Amino acid sequence: MILAVLFANAEGNILIERFHGVPAEERLHWRSFLVKLGADNLKGVKNEELLVACHKSVYIVYTVLGDVSIYVVGKDEYDELALSEVIFVITSAVKDICGKPPTERVFLDKYGRICLCLDEIVWKGYLENTENDRIKRLLRLKPPTEF
Amino acid sequence: MAQPLVKKDDDRDDEADYSPFLGIEKGAVLQEARVFNDPQLDARRCSQVITKLLYLLNQGESFTKVEATEVFFAVTKLFQSRDLGLRRMVYLMIKELSPCADEVIIVTSSLMKDMNSKTDMYRANAIRVLCRITDGTLLTQIERYLKQAIVDKNPVVASAALVSGIHILQTNPEIVKRWSNEVQEAVQSRAALVQFHALALLHQIRQNDRLAVSKLVTSLTRGSVRSPLAQCLLIRYTSQVIREAGNNTQAGDRPFFDFLESCLRHKSEMVIFEAAKAITELNGVTSRELTPAITVLQLFLSSSKPVLRFAAVRTLNKVAMTHPMAVTNCNIDMESLISDQNRSIATLAITTLLKTGNESSVERLMKQITNFMSDIADEFKIVVVEAIRSLCLKFPLKYRSLMNFLSSILREEGGFEYKKAIVDSIVILIRDIPDAKESGLLHLCEFIEDCEFTYLSTQILHFLGVEGPKTSDPSKYIRYIYNRVHLENATVRASAVSTLAGFGAAVDALKPRIFVLLRRCLFDSDDEVRDRATLYLNTLGGDGLGTENDRKDFLFGSLDVPLVNLETSLKNYEPSEEAFDINSVPKEVKSQPLAEKKAPGKKPTGLGAPPSGPPSTADSYERLLLSIPEFANFGKLFKSSAPVELTEAETEYAVNVVKHIFDRHIVFQYNCTNTIPEQLLEDVNVIVDASEAEEFSELFSKPLRSLPYDSPGQTFVAFEKPEGLPTTGKFSNTLKFIVKEVDPTTGEAEDDGVEDEYQLEDLEVVSADYIVKVGVSNFRNAWESMGPDCERVDEYGLGARESLAEAVNTVINLLGLQPCEGTEAVPPNSRSHTCLLSGVFIGNVKVLVRLSFGLDGPKDVAMKLSVRSDDETVSDAIHEIVASG
Repeated sequence: MILAVLFANAEGNILIERFHGVPAEERLHWRSFLVKLGADNLKGVKNEELLVACHKSVYIVYTVLGDVSIYVVGKDEYDELALSEVIFVITSAVKDICGKPPTERVFLDKYGRICLCLDEIVWKGYLENTENDRIKRLLRLKPPTEF
Repeated sequence: MAQPLVKKDDDRDDEADYSPFLGIEKGAVLQEARVFNDPQLDARRCSQVITKLLYLLNQGESFTKVEATEVFFAVTKLFQSRDLGLRRMVYLMIKELSPCADEVIIVTSSLMKDMNSKTDMYRANAIRVLCRITDGTLLTQIERYLKQAIVDKNPVVASAALVSGIHILQTNPEIVKRWSNEVQEAVQSRAALVQFHALALLHQIRQNDRLAVSKLVTSLTRGSVRSPLAQCLLIRYTSQVIREAGNNTQAGDRPFFDFLESCLRHKSEMVIFEAAKAITELNGVTSRELTPAITVLQLFLSSSKPVLRFAAVRTLNKVAMTHPMAVTNCNIDMESLISDQNRSIATLAITTLLKTGNESSVERLMKQITNFMSDIADEFKIVVVEAIRSLCLKFPLKYRSLMNFLSSILREEGGFEYKKAIVDSIVILIRDIPDAKESGLLHLCEFIEDCEFTYLSTQILHFLGVEGPKTSDPSKYIRYIYNRVHLENATVRASAVSTLAGFGAAVDALKPRIFVLLRRCLFDSDDEVRDRATLYLNTLGGDGLGTENDRKDFLFGSLDVPLVNLETSLKNYEPSEEAFDINSVPKEVKSQPLAEKKAPGKKPTGLGAPPSGPPSTADSYERLLLSIPEFANFGKLFKSSAPVELTEAETEYAVNVVKHIFDRHIVFQYNCTNTIPEQLLEDVNVIVDASEAEEFSELFSKPLRSLPYDSPGQTFVAFEKPEGLPTTGKFSNTLKFIVKEVDPTTGEAEDDGVEDEYQLEDLEVVSADYIVKVGVSNFRNAWESMGPDCERVDEYGLGARESLAEAVNTVINLLGLQPCEGTEAVPPNSRSHTCLLSGVFIGNVKVLVRLSFGLDGPKDVAMKLSVRSDDETVSDAIHEIVASG
């Protein structure tokens, strides 16, 4: 299960968050934990360079893309390698929508489309689509090309 | 740290780079949402409003029931628009709003229409939305469409239906199970993702049917699986089948192992890793099976991708716990990871190295770690400190360099938890490795010279007060302790006064000088410090209060009651003319349910809990027994067993028993707890039937007068037994009592009671009860110095055993001796093993045992038992235990 996907800006403010199977009362804890993790480790990290951590049976893969930091949390079958796949799909999609690693402004300008593409990539805690071209087409409700 | 929960729009007012959501406000956006109702829909504007709503939801803004309903109804109007982008937004918005059951009906028809639409993508999205918001009843209506969708030729539609199936399976499994055939067909799909999702769903449908899962795995491992993700799933299911196939661990016969091994050559790293991990986790994996997996993991260690390095080192770290030798080949790669930028990777590398390192590499490793420690966070440092502690217990001869390392990091900067971990480790090493005691205590002394944590200072001072006087030169610690009186806060000063007094009481030679120091403390600015100094000076120096021993006991003896009970009693005590009576505090700790007791695990505790360790438990038992006149002439208590539960958890009456062994007697202490608030038990007694313990004769029993609800009490039964012999027997027990009803409102018991009985479990006295576990730090020295005079050697056939480790464990438990130098751990797949044990036999006779095990044939275990002790009858007795066990 992918427990959480979270986008935050450079100051650590949440831009988008998606939780799956995480009780509401634990979300606050996750938010602060992830943002602190980023604040401690993401300084000076290159775009899309992956960082990884695990806590008990939960894995966290995170990275930075322009002004935005992205965190993906998973457990069970979504271990660090599966999550790196997920985060790769997410970063490619975001780059594609924004044209480059986004500034916060550009990210917010494209907010709606980013929400949609996240909806295509992760659905209720499961990875659904992985190819960027397909996701782009799906956002426009076009069937995939290979079909 | 950045503040995570401040709303985004609060913090930037830069004109050039303002946020498109600057000043966004829920009320205004809800107003804007009225555009959804316009007869002429402006798709672009509607999309913008939906984006704003999404932003609000993502910022944690919540809509009231009325607001959510309004927005939901308005959004459903947008189904009229033919704009594709807007339609996609509408689907997302409905999912986000998660309408309640009575609202769902509004969109159902629109979504059902989309589900049958010619536009494929409408179908896919409608399925996802419907499955998100629908309940069981609607599901039966759309089931037909979902089944069709699973085998739809558009992969997006098929995936949408399959992933929906995974979710619906949680709530309506019986419906999804009917789709087996379609899902089975989808597993054969040419589209990679469809196959992945179908495989996941099919496995979930069949997960309780082992045969079906096995068939699924068999067919797929032969065929072609298209996506790496599906291949990873298949590897997981395969290892599950292998695990469940169980017993056949003979190399070569393992089913599907070839498949796992072939996956190690897959082109996707994800698959390779998954296969390697699966192989390392196989039960009873052999070194031949492990080697290829370790090799690929070793390659990953030098990968440029941090995630791969992390995954590899994490897996190797786990392997190192069970097969340290298999991982040693990776040590060089692992050492280079110590400087990895990602600190999680570096820490895992270090802790793995600490597990795989041998005695000769300890020094080199310590050198590398020293450089590494300065630039990692405290939480990682704690992990390293714990690993070093285990290493030191494994190689006690290396205590010097490990202790030096701990003391050097103790001097560096660090937070409380980190410092506490180090101090705890040093304390544990001092306790377990007698040779390390003096240097360890000096390290602690140096630490308190410059310790910023009051808690740690006071704990260390207390520990010094207990251990310091027992060293060869107690006077050298005084300077450090007395310095505290000058330099620290009142709490630490008070602790230091107590510690000084402890030295004075224990070491007569130091007493006059300690008194001089204590007298200086009489002028301290703090009441508590002055009070303590006065108390110690007057009690230790004065003549009142009985013998010197009485005085020491009064000052330094434990309170004889569990602190929890004392705390409860003090809280319940209401200030009155009558002074608080410590004798009114119950002495027995409430018997915990079994599950809770198991929870804490075997993790050694440091300073936090030294008084609750075994020695002080024994002390308190001894004091408790001495306080009962009937036991006064039994002599010195040799051993008290751990409590044995005689009732199941959560029964009406909880009873456990502690066996107290004396030279010629044995006392059973039954700890009883009444868990029924409406009952008061009186004249509680245990009737013991010793017909299966012929050599024991009952002397007397001491009943418990009253056992109120939730207030534990004890009753005792004493037996006489042959002197100095490890006599065994089985005793059956019945709890007998008078039960009185208690009025719950007044708490008063009725006058008349009824006699009743309660059957308890049987209790056994075994040979191990006569042996106390006492470790030696250097077994070889102890063995040599004991000499071969009273040595007895014999060989035994232990018959067919599950494994060598099981046989070793059984013998250790049978003898009840302390395993030394970590020899109780048997490396997997070894054919022979030597285990070293030590202890003290009843009559205070030291015993050393050397067990050599060997596998004779496939499962038969043979054992050579060599015993050395100061008394040949004891050596014989040990052989007797094994021969009759």
